[in-house]
Amino acid sequence: MKVLKRYARLYRVFVSQFFKTIVQSKANFFIGLIGFFLTQITGILFLYLVFEQIPVLADWNLDQLIFIYGFAQIPRGIDHLLTDNLWMLAWNLVVNGKFDRYMLRPMNLYMQVIFEKLQPDALGELLVGSILIVISLQKGIVIISGVNILLFVVSVLAGSVIYTAIKLLFASFAFWIKVSGPVLYTAYQFADFAKYPTGIYVKGVRFLITWIIPFAFVAYLPAAYFLVPNVNAFSTIGVECILSVAFFVFAYAVFIAGTKAYESAGN
Amino acid sequence: MRQKLKIYWPFLENQLKSNLAYQGSFYLFIVCSLFGPFISYYLWMAIYGGSSDGVLGGLTQEQMVVYVFMTYITSSLVMIGIAEEISYDVMEGSVVMALLKPIDYRLSLISRSLGEMLYRFFAPVIFVWIGLEIYKVTVLKMGVTPIQNILLYIVSLSMSYLIYVLFDFCFGMFAFVTTYMFGLDMAKSALLGFLSGQIIPISFFPAVLQKVFVFLPFSSMVYTPVMVYLGKYSGEEIAFVLGRQFIWIILLYVLGSYLWGRITKRLVVLGG
Repeated sequence: MKVLKRYARLYRVFVSQFFKTIVQSKANFFIGLIGFFLTQITGILFLYLVFEQIPVLADWNLDQLIFIYGFAQIPRGIDHLLTDNLWMLAWNLVVNGKFDRYMLRPMNLYMQVIFEKLQPDALGELLVGSILIVISLQKGIVIISGVNILLFVVSVLAGSVIYTAIKLLFASFAFWIKVSGPVLYTAYQFADFAKYPTGIYVKGVRFLITWIIPFAFVAYLPAAYFLVPNVNAFSTIGVECILSVAFFVFAYAVFIAGTKAYESAGN
Repeated sequence: MRQKLKIYWPFLENQLKSNLAYQGSFYLFIVCSLFGPFISYYLWMAIYGGSSDGVLGGLTQEQMVVYVFMTYITSSLVMIGIAEEISYDVMEGSVVMALLKPIDYRLSLISRSLGEMLYRFFAPVIFVWIGLEIYKVTVLKMGVTPIQNILLYIVSLSMSYLIYVLFDFCFGMFAFVTTYMFGLDMAKSALLGFLSGQIIPISFFPAVLQKVFVFLPFSSMVYTPVMVYLGKYSGEEIAFVLGRQFIWIILLYVLGSYLWGRITKRLVVLGG
């Protein structure tokens, strides 16, 4: 309990530091927000234009696809907001020897890395995600009930943990190969496959994004629970939760092993 | 001309060398860049599967496959930004070197981007291109692209490239105003992807928007050369679209010179 309290206080300190930087450059904040917002919105415009021409895409209609697309953005946005500093770990904290300063402080290493930065650009993704979900809900394609709302929240949280675990795992490779930015970037790009129903891909791709880099569990599979009648909650959201915990534990173990293997750059 | 080549060639060469030095990560980036066209490919397959008639936005399913991969090839060769370079030079203050040395800053940036283009032509464009042609003949049964289409495509592609770099130079002038080019660059890529025909052919837009979009410089960056490659234009139309590209080159060149002249007059560089 005492430990938790201490971390909560420390997080407040880090966050308040961060807000100072936002206030310092409001223009940058809006530019980043608009940048990510536009990137996501063009994906949706694409779907609108395509559905001018066809009624269904692989058995899904436009409203359902918009729901899936929006659903995919929210866990992505939460992870992007909270753990963006993992990119720094992948690109330059190790190779520059900057990781030294974390080693010196009496605080959990992982917490230090993610506490250090909040990424406001992520609000662009969260905004798009929420708007799309609201738009598709108005079409009455999902039954809104207490249980469903609870499952939705659980699924979004588990989804962001999957994102974080994948990022943590590939960023931790930097401890051995010094710069793991390109590897992390490659893994992260697989998320783009999960914006659409996995049924459209060949088997190999489907297997990869379901079990190896499990982005399919972030959006498409849990979304299917809400959209398709008679889909079992356990086989979608349940498996998502189990996977997210398993992946995170594994990634965290790799991260800890990495910090033990870390050698400073020296000067 | 020879004199010029002697001055600007090293920029091109250096870019090539630095790309070759970091091969490992470059190959990974190439693999990633191929995700986009493959996702599009599967998406379009599903889309054509859901349509009752075989033609969408004026393209058959086979033509759409060619469109997707030629768009990838075209944008790999055309969209080689120089704005990022400008923002780096501005932030580091090294832009002052560009003003001191008797070289044309814009031309030196373009030479570097040409080096990058040369590299991309061999990794991976040429392989994707040959692969596409083989796929076209064996699986799609469309026959090899006629040589005159390929030649016209190369002409149009070269102009697309010039339009893009000249546009990006103008865009790069924002670096003198803001320090957060990363966000601005994302916004630019998103808009360009849409307006240039990279994400979806312009022919999918409502008729009114199409009329507006074809007159913006963006459709000349990707959509025009790809449609030329597909043989979608008649003789007269080709002359028209190539002429339109040429006019945009001139307009953007003049605009770039004007902006550069204005900005460097009031530029203040601290320290040194």
